[in-house]
Amino acid sequence: MEAFNYTDTTEFMERDFSNSKETGTEIKIENVSMVFPDKNGGEPVTALQNVNLEIKQGEFISLLGPSGCGKTTLLRLIADLLQPTSGNITVRGETPRDVRLKKKYGIVFQNPVLYDWRTIRRNVCMPMELMGMKKSERTARVTKMLELVGLLDFGKHYPYELSGGMQQRVGIARALAIKPEILLMDEPFSALDEFTREKLQIDLLRIWNKTNKTVIFVTHNISEAVFLSDRVVVLSPHPGRVSAVVDIDLPRPRDMECRQTPEFFDYMTKIRNSFEGV
Amino acid sequence: MKDKIKNIVLPASFGILMIALWEGRMIHKLLGFKPFQLPIPSEIIKTLSKNFNKAIIDTLTTVNGALVGLVIGCIIGFLVAVIATQFPKWGYTGLTVIATFNAIPIVALSPIMNRWFESGFGQKVGVVTVVCMGAMAINSYRGLNDLKPFARDLMQSYAASEKEVFFKLRLPNCLPSIFTAIKINVPAALMAAMISEYFAASTSGLGFGVKDNLRKGMMAMGWSYIVMASLVGIILYLFIIVVERRAIKWHASQR
Ligand SMILES: Nc1ncnc2c1ncn2[C@@H]1O[C@H](COP(=O)(O)OP(=O)(O)OP(=O)(O)O)[C@@H](O)[C@H]1O
Ligand SMILES: [Mg+2]
Repeated sequence: MEAFNYTDTTEFMERDFSNSKETGTEIKIENVSMVFPDKNGGEPVTALQNVNLEIKQGEFISLLGPSGCGKTTLLRLIADLLQPTSGNITVRGETPRDVRLKKKYGIVFQNPVLYDWRTIRRNVCMPMELMGMKKSERTARVTKMLELVGLLDFGKHYPYELSGGMQQRVGIARALAIKPEILLMDEPFSALDEFTREKLQIDLLRIWNKTNKTVIFVTHNISEAVFLSDRVVVLSPHPGRVSAVVDIDLPRPRDMECRQTPEFFDYMTKIRNSFEGV
Repeated sequence: MKDKIKNIVLPASFGILMIALWEGRMIHKLLGFKPFQLPIPSEIIKTLSKNFNKAIIDTLTTVNGALVGLVIGCIIGFLVAVIATQFPKWGYTGLTVIATFNAIPIVALSPIMNRWFESGFGQKVGVVTVVCMGAMAINSYRGLNDLKPFARDLMQSYAASEKEVFFKLRLPNCLPSIFTAIKINVPAALMAAMISEYFAASTSGLGFGVKDNLRKGMMAMGWSYIVMASLVGIILYLFIIVVERRAIKWHASQR
């Protein structure tokens, strides 16, 4: 059985940065549209239309919406893996590119994106190599991160020897290992079983609570969005746009009991209704 | 266990059966061959062991040329693939040109190229090089560029340099394709080297051995060279497979 270790792991996202106590704007998305031309000469796809969103420093924000509504596209635009057709994105007053080149993003992709030729340990290690971190420090962090996601015993295995859910957890460990200042997570838990998912949700909240990093979390699970977030951004498809933004004022720290409260269900109902209004 | 029976025991027993039928002259009866047209295995082995030293020297001559050409051809092919990857604009043209070399039949190429080089060794290396370039260029280009979805994005999100992308992503991703190309090229290199010897003025090598002995009617000796060529081909191929097992044990083909 894999053991989950809740203690001693949160320190990994600690990194002091001067304005951490401020709650200024971290990411500003203004009138952003993204149109993908159709390669075969058909109709172009409008993945996002006129999206406006301000994300505060240290905020935990969820992007919620059905398949194809442009969640991944928005995440990729923020990460500078894609450039908007029109509109503007600024991150701490800088362009997404500047922030990316400073290596401040940590991304968990929708699929694990592990390198087949690297063992699990060396996969988690990869971003740290790119950051020029010392080997001793890398080794220590890899151990802690694998402990966090309950995969310490699998460090010497190759990706193909792991189940899909285990691979996804490796992807999470890899993103957290470099203590990113902005964490972008694309449906990180959707491939996991209910037990593992709940454990990792609580772990993620602990890490976030202690470090106050900005987290943008993509999900299509309403309960997950309510449980984790300060704010839930509801996106609707065809074309992708923001249809509602719901503040979640549930007290923190949140635990499993929080999910049983009437307030929790009220939020879920509210969000579900905002879908039906679409 | 079942797989072993299917993959090793069955083909092996079929081979032994064929050799036994051949030795018992059943094949001769079946196809109406005279003994001198198709020497029986025991006679070939007897002749080979009598002339073993000369056969070994001829084999080494051919293998030398084939291996040197193989290495040069593979390096050139790989470099072309790298250039086409890093500088797609004009690099891709180079790749296309190299790839068309694959379409030229060796039998046509060999006599022409034999006029370009003085020594039999140079002729062999030249032909083998040209033959090996294409498969390596095409395969390794594929390996360098067929990346899993988001594999590049991951690198990019950490602002990895082109050099880091190449060495940490493209190159390891390419290893299986490199082995595929080498496995295609080993038998092709031996064949090209032998064909070059057929056409050349050289007086040594496997190709010359086969041609010369068959011309003189020394069938068993000619067949000895065919046996040597097959053995060398099998040994080289097995060697590559063993190296491949160790180098890319993470790859789907090795599980
Ligand atoms: N590179 C691309 N080229 C063309 N169209 C694209 C591209 N990426 C996304 N799209 C289109 O943009 C729309 C939004 O895609 P996106 O991947 O952002 O959806 P999503 O909300 O993440 O969906 P899911 O929940 O299924 O992951 C879809 O219609 C998709 O077909
Ligand atoms: Mg998506």
